[in-house]
Amino acid sequence: MKIPGSTIFHICRISLLFVLLSGSAYATTTADHTKFKQLQVHFNSGPDVTRTCIKCHTEAAKQIHKTKHWTWEFLNPQNKQRLGKKNIVNNFCITPKSNFDHCATCHVGYGWRDDTFDFSSEVNVDCLVCHDTTGDYLKSGDNAGHPKSTVDLAYIAQNVGKTSRDTCGACHFYGGGGNGVKHGDMDDSLAVPDRDLDVHMDAVGPDFTCSTCHKSIEHDVAGSRYMPDAKHTDDYHVHRRDYDEENNAHCRACHGNKPHKKADKSRLNHHANKIACQTCHIPEMSRGGIPTRMTWDWSTAGQLNEDGEPIERKVDGNLVYSSKRGTITYAENINPEYIWFNGKVRYQLLTEKVRYNDDGYVLVNEFEGSPYDGESRIWPVKVFRGVQPYDPVNQTLVVPHTTGSDKASYWKNFDWQKAVAAGMKSAGLPFSGEVDFVKTQMSWLINHMVTPGEGAVGCNECHSKNGRLKDIDGIYIPGRDADKTLDAYGWLIASMTLVGVILHGIGRIISYYWSKRK
Amino acid sequence: MKHHKTIFVVLISILLGFSSMAVAKEGNWKKGRIYYKMVCSECHLEKAGGKISPSEKTKAEWLDYFEKNIHGPQDAPTKYTASYFVSKEYRESIKNTNRAAKKMLKVPEDQLLEDVKAFLVHTAKDSDQPSRCE
Amino acid sequence: MTKRAKKVMIFKRFERFWHWAQAALIMVLLFSGFEIHGSYRILGFEDAVTLHRAMAWSLVTLWVFAIFWHLTTGEWKQYIPTLKKVDAMVKYYLLGIFIRAPHPFRQTMLRKHNPLQRLAYLFMWVVISPIIWATGWAYLFYAQWADWGLDQYLKLEDVAFFHAVGAFMMLTFLIAHLYLITTGKTVWAHMRAMITGWEEIDPNAKES
Repeated sequence: MKIPGSTIFHICRISLLFVLLSGSAYATTTADHTKFKQLQVHFNSGPDVTRTCIKCHTEAAKQIHKTKHWTWEFLNPQNKQRLGKKNIVNNFCITPKSNFDHCATCHVGYGWRDDTFDFSSEVNVDCLVCHDTTGDYLKSGDNAGHPKSTVDLAYIAQNVGKTSRDTCGACHFYGGGGNGVKHGDMDDSLAVPDRDLDVHMDAVGPDFTCSTCHKSIEHDVAGSRYMPDAKHTDDYHVHRRDYDEENNAHCRACHGNKPHKKADKSRLNHHANKIACQTCHIPEMSRGGIPTRMTWDWSTAGQLNEDGEPIERKVDGNLVYSSKRGTITYAENINPEYIWFNGKVRYQLLTEKVRYNDDGYVLVNEFEGSPYDGESRIWPVKVFRGVQPYDPVNQTLVVPHTTGSDKASYWKNFDWQKAVAAGMKSAGLPFSGEVDFVKTQMSWLINHMVTPGEGAVGCNECHSKNGRLKDIDGIYIPGRDADKTLDAYGWLIASMTLVGVILHGIGRIISYYWSKRK
Repeated sequence: MKHHKTIFVVLISILLGFSSMAVAKEGNWKKGRIYYKMVCSECHLEKAGGKISPSEKTKAEWLDYFEKNIHGPQDAPTKYTASYFVSKEYRESIKNTNRAAKKMLKVPEDQLLEDVKAFLVHTAKDSDQPSRCE
Repeated sequence: MTKRAKKVMIFKRFERFWHWAQAALIMVLLFSGFEIHGSYRILGFEDAVTLHRAMAWSLVTLWVFAIFWHLTTGEWKQYIPTLKKVDAMVKYYLLGIFIRAPHPFRQTMLRKHNPLQRLAYLFMWVVISPIIWATGWAYLFYAQWADWGLDQYLKLEDVAFFHAVGAFMMLTFLIAHLYLITTGKTVWAHMRAMITGWEEIDPNAKES
């Protein structure tokens, strides 16, 4: 008997899936770290722990050194832009530059305060922030990534294990300064999601961790927003078995190009040429009960109360005004916006003059795409709009020194000139001395909170006149697009025929009675 | 803070003392979190007057709650005990509508209770990281 | 002296089945088709597509039988066009019908359609149907265009456009057709004939 290759492949894929699944949440390993004498000591600091880790895990820190998690730097090979957290600006907290004491809380290292940080130091790699399984490892919010003094480092070190949604989420759920603030598809509801919220991460179902999809090789984690894979290309790439595959944190890695198996759904497979899976399978952003920020206006920051103290206003527990940050709005269970996107992203760098779009916004990042380039598909994005400081003379975005309690810190002194002067000086960038505000816009791909099939966006929502894709051009969508001239003539002719036969009929009725009367 | 920690440590030690040598009964807060979020909160959200955040009570208050073992408002308690809602009987009764209860059907009752307690203590008002809700 | 009216079996059983089944299918196709087209929202796009596809395949099946029937029985000849007496027919509908003039055409077993009907049906077979079928097949197999190398020749926009052109023609045909049913000897005469198969033939009418 001959078994078709596809069947064998499918069986392999399923088996692999089981292997992956069985290795999630509460995996046992061959090494019980609680029994290691080296860890049954008192550790004074984070680096102290790492020094012990790398005695056995000799290559771990060196591997981390090569990753974006460590360097916060990424060179886009397509357009040679130097990106990464260290270099780019956003329109949330703007930039970690000059604010590392605070922002490096989310660095996988210890002690990044300024340019003097030694990126070649192995002991400064923070192993625990990713490998903690206890949930008790916490970094201090203002000490350059060092753990809180209350943390029992020996206990944490003895209980290390695989990464989890909790460890990744410790930073990625809180991007932009709070739970769910930045992404629109990531917040701490994903720590224990149910099936409706995320069909893969469902805590009593497949229970995927982040690394089930974002598989790492030598500590380098797949999937990056700096150069997303947005195209519709062939083949499965299950978990980076192909080493030439740079990034496989995408649906097709497991599902392939024809994921809709049921006969009545098979025509949906063809949609994949034009539409990313996410467009239908992530019907709304922020579905986990935690709102995401939609706008952030820094220009209103600095209002103090009568005593000259900063104020905060909250609605439903969400910060809507803060003297330190300005005015903020939120949304949850909201439709994303949709764009043509081919995976190429261009950032507005600090060294470039600002470029405005037609609506007068500076695009902090610009997603390239067109219906005609043969490689774009329609993607869901969260578009975050803000108002942030810039230099009206040099026409550049600026680095404000916001955190800290020094003389120049905005959060201490509420003086933009001083804060920006300090920030730009620290970044080594020119500053005219003037600060004004500019409208900015930033896009974020929506990739998480994947609903089960039955919750996906229905046909009507796009195949209709004012549907989700009403602003998408360059594609004929039945139900949305119809030739208006044809419709005008078509209905005119049909209705004229109708009127004609009605008049004819009336004529016959009249003539009938007329002839009777005679 | 220190005080509560001591209470907690003492309590855990007592629990460990009571349990057999082979099985440590320290609760797994991550398992407790799943049960709390997918069983407790699910029902509270739909029927029992809204979500209750673990951070509404301190560690001591949560432990006291389970000590008294009364479910519902302390001044107007329901006829059920708190531990009834982790019992196999309860899980059995909702297994058809609650996937988490079904999945955790075989977990021993006292183990599950410890897991839930561990979660609540882990994220209580005076913990290092109060959970917003869930 | 007038002879008594004679009943003749004009439409055979299969023909009547074919006619009514086709009529129902076309009406459902028009209804669901214009919903897909975006003219209104009643069933919802997904259900409209499902229905439209099912009806289209049913019509294809029906046609396989109908074509076979027409060929084997020679009935296809009924659609051979003639311009003879077309002017008389036009004149009748424009004038004669109002003054109760005699119908210029006499139905027989061999010629069941009047000259105008022949032209109209021929138009349907050679113009409307090919447009609808060609574009309909293309639309139906849109997903396979790339595999079949058709994507460089066809644009969905154009296929949809001409399919709608066909649909508007069919709709217009249907309206006229429904009205013309009432223009028999009595208002219900044609309808009855299409249901029972029997048509009353006036033996006094001149043989044409």
